[in-house]
Amino acid sequence: MTASAPALLDPPPRADPLIRLDNIHVSYALKDGTEKKILDGIDLDIRPGEFISVVGQTGCGKSTLLRLVLGSETPTEGRVLVEDREIHRPDRDRGYVPQKYSLFPDKTVCDNITFGLEVEEFSLVTHFTPRFYMRRRQFRTEAFRQLAKMGLHESDSTKYPDQLSGGMQQRVAIAQALVMKPKILLMDEAFSALDPSTRAGMQKLIRQVWKETATTVLFVTHNIAEALHLATRVVVLAKNPDADGSRIALDLPVPGHEFADDYAPLAARIEQATGHMRSDAS
Amino acid sequence: MSLLSINVKPGRTACWTLSWLLFATGIVLYFYTAQKRHKENPDDRVVPTLAQLAAGIYQAAMSPDGDEAPSADVQSQSAFARFRTSMLWTDTVASARRFFYGLALLFPAVLLGLHMGIFPYFGVFFLRFILFFDKIIALSVLPILFIAFGIDELSKVMLIVIGVTPTIILDTFNLTKSVPPEQLVKGFTLGASDFDVAYRVVLKQIWPRVLNSIRLNLKPLMLFLFAGEMIASTDGLAYRIALLRRHMGMNIIIPYVLWVAFLLFLVDLAMRLLNKKLHPWFREA
Repeated sequence: MTASAPALLDPPPRADPLIRLDNIHVSYALKDGTEKKILDGIDLDIRPGEFISVVGQTGCGKSTLLRLVLGSETPTEGRVLVEDREIHRPDRDRGYVPQKYSLFPDKTVCDNITFGLEVEEFSLVTHFTPRFYMRRRQFRTEAFRQLAKMGLHESDSTKYPDQLSGGMQQRVAIAQALVMKPKILLMDEAFSALDPSTRAGMQKLIRQVWKETATTVLFVTHNIAEALHLATRVVVLAKNPDADGSRIALDLPVPGHEFADDYAPLAARIEQATGHMRSDAS
Repeated sequence: MSLLSINVKPGRTACWTLSWLLFATGIVLYFYTAQKRHKENPDDRVVPTLAQLAAGIYQAAMSPDGDEAPSADVQSQSAFARFRTSMLWTDTVASARRFFYGLALLFPAVLLGLHMGIFPYFGVFFLRFILFFDKIIALSVLPILFIAFGIDELSKVMLIVIGVTPTIILDTFNLTKSVPPEQLVKGFTLGASDFDVAYRVVLKQIWPRVLNSIRLNLKPLMLFLFAGEMIASTDGLAYRIALLRRHMGMNIIIPYVLWVAFLLFLVDLAMRLLNKKLHPWFREA
């Protein structure tokens, strides 16, 4: 046996996890004094550049899982680590695109995109200085570049969020998050409220963005076909039959995920893991 | 179609006519009553006629004080100069000064409400007290205010503070709480600090509604201001109304009341236009 042969057969060295969920338990105290368990012992490693879809039935804790990674919620037990550091609050390393209220209603499209750049460089006081107005021109150029990438026109930049369609709002929300060049992009049912054709367009867009930026994406959806279509790995959350909270019922890599014909067996496995989820993808 | 139908849409003429009808009815009724009373008693002072009202307005707008006869020197001045020294103008300036002091004191109240809604420790510290404070009837503490702060400006401004600020604080607190949490999280993920989120995300979003809340509280603000002026003051619109009540000076009281309503209407209109201009994205519910 030559020295090079085993090297070819070995799997490539795996990168250290970017996100690590270590024995996560989440529960809430109810008014009657009892405890409602949401997540019951979640262990999950996510490596840089992965596109993870989290699926599961309504109320199984998908969004809770996302909020834990976001840092807007703390686990009752366990640790959430990003780059080996325990996180306690949301920060600019983790971009966020929720289903609703994804844009600031008081700001134009352009101001929504430049907001992050502005607050990062200018404090409450210094954003009244002349230098701010000079820099703002550069921020706007960057915003227009992001808008173009998202398939929007410069003429849309002066519109307010309520003047945009749902799909356009989500495109702006993605641009707003990506302009900060986050390491992780967290999307919580981001396309759920969109009509099928807009949704398909958004799926294509986010795949393209992911390929170009190599950002790690955690995508929560209730739609199995969408999860399979987008992700490199699908994580299924399901209620633990022996306990109250949910656990990871299936952690499924999606090889060659661009070939739609291969979905059926994977979708069947996911459906089996979740129970009776619908597979009504666009 | 029935007038009481929900789906009916009044035409332009109907809108215009109906919206002015009650004003016209009120004016007609007033002058009818005045004429009738003056036929029975030509010296009637309760419902002055148009001529008496005009004389009253002239006196208020061109004389230095209601009790003093205008001097020869004053008579020789221009109309504008006489208006600048008239009791209507000096009273308006005195009341407006107190009004704007009171209005200015509402802004710290807005900031307090904002901080209570954003920062949990602030909320916990202040909320229970403000809720209790809000239930205190401001006029019931008026004697205490006069004893504690004297009968000059401070007690009148404090009356406004006690009467209106708890409502503004609580309203701002509720408005802050109504901002979706996703917006706060979004702010943090874009690199904003706590204060950036408070001032550049939340305050900017709630500001038009806060202005609306202040606008809707202008009348209570004036009410407390008038109460203070009527009881202990030597100038101001309410002082003059209280003073003229003793002399049954309805020919000046009625123009004063209408003048106050007109001024308040102008402030309200200015605030509404300003709100619309500053916040084109804001759609009133």
